[in-house]
Amino acid sequence: MAQAAQPDWQPDFEELVDQHQSMVFSLALRMTGDRGLAEEIAQDVFLEMDRHLAKLESPDHACFWLRRVTMSRSADALRRRKVRGMDLWVEIDERHGMRLEERSSPLGARLESLLATLPEPQRAALVLRYQEDLTPEEIAATLDAPVATVKSQLQRGLKLLRAKAATHLKEYVRGA
Amino acid sequence: MVHEPFDEFEIELKQALERRPAPPGLKRRLLVQRAARTRQREARSSFVLWQRLAASVVLVAALAGGLGWRRHEEEQRKGEQARQQVLTALRITSHALDHAQAQLAAHDRDSENARNSGSQN
Repeated sequence: MAQAAQPDWQPDFEELVDQHQSMVFSLALRMTGDRGLAEEIAQDVFLEMDRHLAKLESPDHACFWLRRVTMSRSADALRRRKVRGMDLWVEIDERHGMRLEERSSPLGARLESLLATLPEPQRAALVLRYQEDLTPEEIAATLDAPVATVKSQLQRGLKLLRAKAATHLKEYVRGA
Repeated sequence: MVHEPFDEFEIELKQALERRPAPPGLKRRLLVQRAARTRQREARSSFVLWQRLAASVVLVAALAGGLGWRRHEEEQRKGEQARQQVLTALRITSHALDHAQAQLAAHDRDSENARNSGSQN
């Protein structure tokens, strides 16, 4: 998606880190489910951004670039882990998970855990849709995928998540 | 589905997926790594500069050496040419002297023969 260039805009590394560190870390965390790995990815992404600072044309372009590279690095990290035979999101709460007080709500935490069980392309589309509030067209540009594919991933992902929530959250509510 | 307003489930999902704060110290670690990389880059570029300088010095020395050697060869060639010219000149002179000496000897012999035949008569 085209990002309008701002000729007078000068990218400032520290300012961009301040503005986007939460976004980059959250995207990486929700894609990998590992806080340590997410932090590593965030560091890599920002250091990569530092190398390409001169190519960033506007604040919007910087944000778009960061989202795109974070999603791509997260996908790479997931592939590397699959190759090594590690099962992602296994006992993440015990191993690397966020402390309970960090979570928005117990129900939200359950939804987040269920989201983590979705296939990677659906998870990516849903995270960009509901965390970043992007339109399917923006998601398609970020993931470098056709809009129709993104729409389909969103629909299937949301349907699957609803189905999982219908089963698991009922149990959760009963158990609470 | 995704273009319609969010339903209750989607609102809950949106709340669940609010951005998390980045780990404390992420920015500090980034700045430390960035500074280290800048130092590395500077050190590498200064090393490359010294390498280029050394290569230039070697190249200039080689060119100067080659030029000096060529000049030396040229001088040697000219010296040899001059020596050959002198030797040729000496050979010519020697040949001319031999010729003159032979003529003189023949003249002396003729004079002596004439004197001898005169005294016999």
